[in-house]
Amino acid sequence: MIEIHNLTKCFDQIKAVDEVSVAIREKTVFGLIGTNGAGKSTMLRMIAGVIRPDEGTVAVDNMPVFDNVEAKKRLFFIADEPYFFANANAGTMERYYSGVYEAFDREEFYRYLEKFNLDKNRKISTFSKGMKKQLALLFGICAHTKYILCDETFDGLDPVMRQGIKSIFAKEMEERGLTPVIASHNLRELEDICDHVGLLHRGGVLLSKDLEDMKCNIQKVQCVFASVDDEIKALNGLEILKKEQRGSLSTITVRSGREEVEARLATVDTVFYEVLPLSLEEIFISETEVAGYDIKKLILG
Amino acid sequence: MTSRNSFWASCRENHKRRIWVWIVALILQLLVYGGMTIVYLSRIRGYYEEGTYRTVQAFREAMYQAARDALGFSDNVFPFVIFLGAIIGMQGFSYLYDRRKVDLYHSVPVAKSRRFAAVYVNGLTIYFVSGMVGLLCGMILAGAQGAVNALVLADAGMAFLWNLLLFLVCYHMMILAVMVTGSRFVTVCVFLAFSLFEPCVYEICEAFSLDFYDTYAKSFTDSAPKFSAYYDCITYAGRLKDMTEVGEKAKVAFPIMGRWLLLAAVFLAFTWIAYRRRASEAAGKSIAFSWLKPVLKVAVGIPGALLIGALVYDASHNSETLMAMGIIVSAILLCAALEVLYAFDIRCIIKNLPSTGIVVVGALAIFCTFKWDLTGYDSYIPKQNKVESIAILLDCYYDEYWDENRQYIPADEYIKENMFLTDAEPVLALAQMAQQTDIGDMGQGRTLHVLYRLKSGREKVRRVAVDYNDPQTEAYLNRIFQSDEFQHGIFQMMTDENYCDGLTKIRYSNGPVRATIPAKEAEALRTAWIRDMEQFDFTMAKDVMPCGQITMDYADYSYRQWYVYDTFAETIACLEKNEAFYPAKLNAKDIDYITVTNYHNELMQEDMEIGIEAREAAQAYDVDYTVKETFSDQAQIEQILSASHSTYLVSPWGNYEGTENNYSVEVVFKKDSAYPYDRNAYYFNYEFIKGQVPDFVAEATEYIDIE
Repeated sequence: MIEIHNLTKCFDQIKAVDEVSVAIREKTVFGLIGTNGAGKSTMLRMIAGVIRPDEGTVAVDNMPVFDNVEAKKRLFFIADEPYFFANANAGTMERYYSGVYEAFDREEFYRYLEKFNLDKNRKISTFSKGMKKQLALLFGICAHTKYILCDETFDGLDPVMRQGIKSIFAKEMEERGLTPVIASHNLRELEDICDHVGLLHRGGVLLSKDLEDMKCNIQKVQCVFASVDDEIKALNGLEILKKEQRGSLSTITVRSGREEVEARLATVDTVFYEVLPLSLEEIFISETEVAGYDIKKLILG
Repeated sequence: MTSRNSFWASCRENHKRRIWVWIVALILQLLVYGGMTIVYLSRIRGYYEEGTYRTVQAFREAMYQAARDALGFSDNVFPFVIFLGAIIGMQGFSYLYDRRKVDLYHSVPVAKSRRFAAVYVNGLTIYFVSGMVGLLCGMILAGAQGAVNALVLADAGMAFLWNLLLFLVCYHMMILAVMVTGSRFVTVCVFLAFSLFEPCVYEICEAFSLDFYDTYAKSFTDSAPKFSAYYDCITYAGRLKDMTEVGEKAKVAFPIMGRWLLLAAVFLAFTWIAYRRRASEAAGKSIAFSWLKPVLKVAVGIPGALLIGALVYDASHNSETLMAMGIIVSAILLCAALEVLYAFDIRCIIKNLPSTGIVVVGALAIFCTFKWDLTGYDSYIPKQNKVESIAILLDCYYDEYWDENRQYIPADEYIKENMFLTDAEPVLALAQMAQQTDIGDMGQGRTLHVLYRLKSGREKVRRVAVDYNDPQTEAYLNRIFQSDEFQHGIFQMMTDENYCDGLTKIRYSNGPVRATIPAKEAEALRTAWIRDMEQFDFTMAKDVMPCGQITMDYADYSYRQWYVYDTFAETIACLEKNEAFYPAKLNAKDIDYITVTNYHNELMQEDMEIGIEAREAAQAYDVDYTVKETFSDQAQIEQILSASHSTYLVSPWGNYEGTENNYSVEVVFKKDSAYPYDRNAYYFNYEFIKGQVPDFVAEATEYIDIE
């Protein structure tokens, strides 16, 4: 587990990360969401042991990570712009990584390389941005570290590649307990990958929850009540996060289980009602609006 | 077999990233050693083919010397070594400038200490291996031409070590510069600041002391920069190259190399601390440590402003107002430039004004300290009871001094080692008088450089202005000159027991005569001269012209000279015994004719005062005022000889002021004269004694403007 406690980092009196405390459980895909400048990259670089926090701690399996080789052996960090040696090809980089990561699986690497149609003899500098990200991900996967930290790595990958990487992640999680930590400024990029999401804003964590928990505990209901009294009776006691009214049609977002909501609606007279599934985006909108933020402005643009 | 993640694996991996540095280093080292060997030896071969060397042995010796010049100490090599130290140091750690590289290197499971060690050792390896390859190549080339012997090997080995240590200093300095900065340009600036800081501060102190302190003297002090390898190279590399003895070279070179090693170790220690404390996020910033910005600003701004101020002072013909303005303006501009450099943003030109204020105030404070002598430098005279001994150097007397190996040593160095005046009173009295006298009124060449050795163990050096024409001054100087401590300290002949070693012959000359005395007479002559010197004092030195000069010639072509005066009875008797004494005064009947040249300096001086434009307007430029006249009349020759003195015997004590510098006198002997003058010379130079130019000479050499 990666435990982050009260992590703070300032750059020239600007707080990039402000007292963040998060726990990243093993065998889950942790998504770190935030706008540009929210502190995602800084946080990942601190988790990777690249930069030293001003305050707080990062512990990887109970080991401090900064300047600790043993902790770093369990991490592979893919920066937003991964660096490859000048004039290097995939083979050159493989030789480097297999030198520094003892568990690096060369055979697996070349197998994946072929599968992803990446030429091992071609200069990496001639690769497209997406190809470079794929290659960096393959290095990360084949390094066989317990944690892989991806900074905006999935942004810009085409759906086929995303699916391919996602399958590999799933397989590696299943086989050896890989824990990916993925930072992105785009909520939709992470929706189908992450198990747990942390939302960073202005250096602080707005929320950190399991996706399933969030989905189960928030319901969106479209309903036409027979009368105002029915509506008051049905909604009384429910935690309403959001309510929209168009004519007689009410769209209500409530924090509650699906069964409880349906049971409550069954007790009143309704012309029509339906409990709708919520997208990750809608869940975030609801959660953050409660906290007083406009999520659309934060991460959806 | 090494582990995939061992230190050597890290080194090997790092080498792959430094191929171009390997190539540059190898090319340079091959050029420096191999190229120079080819050029130097070819040149000697060319001379040989032209017949410059009479024997094969001479040619062989020249080849050895050429090989030593190419492979040994050289003042041409050190810029290459500095360049290699700088680029190897910068390239090795330049990954710290790039965030993407830092992300990679600092996230992989390789300890920072190991990464540092691998890059550092690789840098050394690149220099060492490329240097060895170059040296071996040079050796093979020299060996193939028979130009290698033990001396060449010893010289080359020592020079290689010298260059290696110089490399270490530059290498560490550059790595430290990389550690405290975040971009190449700023690194180069900081490297230059590190390199030039001490020499600059030294030069500034020197310039300000010379400009503002009347009593500042450089003699007796070893006030060269102590921590500048470049300064050492400029000062010593040429000297080491010229030295022939390996042991002597080692004596000079090893203490310097020891100092460099210490300097390199200090830089490395700072480098390591900076590396450990440097934040990864410093990549791309100008300065890696924010606290360093004001420190650098002050450290660069103040010396920079003072240096520019000193230049303005010289350029403005010593205007102190312009100097102060130059200091203020340059301090502000330097600070603004540094702020722009720190932020890579022209808008930051007036940022951090408090530190700019500190630089301006600091620079002005130093200027004021010198200008108004706030430290009391010029008024310093030690209390008599605090003085252990004194050494004085007269800028009007020149002698040559030699060490036990017959190597030349500077006068102040010799006097410092040998003169210990315990009678401090006359020197302190002269210093006291000097403070009440305006040095500008005295003209040049009238100062004593005084070294006060204090009982506390400290040493102070001051320049004391003295007026030779003042009777009180003359009395004090006579008291000093008459002391054995002074004479033993200034005349090496009096104390050097090894003066006979290598002595080949003794000569005596009154100008035209070159008489030879057997070397076995040296001790008798010396003893007589020392006894005669008991009558020597300042008045004699100032007012009396010597009548002759004794020269001792040595096997290594060095020589020593000492003067004989008319009153030196014992010396003259000894010379007469050896039939070598000839009076300074010549007999007119031996002279064929005398040519007198009047340079008319007074007319040239007038022209100078008119100014260039006026001279051009008057078309008076390039006028030759020289008037030459030959006198062959015996009576005239007699008068001229009575009024003149051999140039050969003028000026041991600066009494050149006792002769007329407007005239030169050329004395030509009759070919059939029995007088034993030097037949190799066509004429002999004489000078008129001040105020004794005969009227007929003045008239005959008067300048007449024919236009």
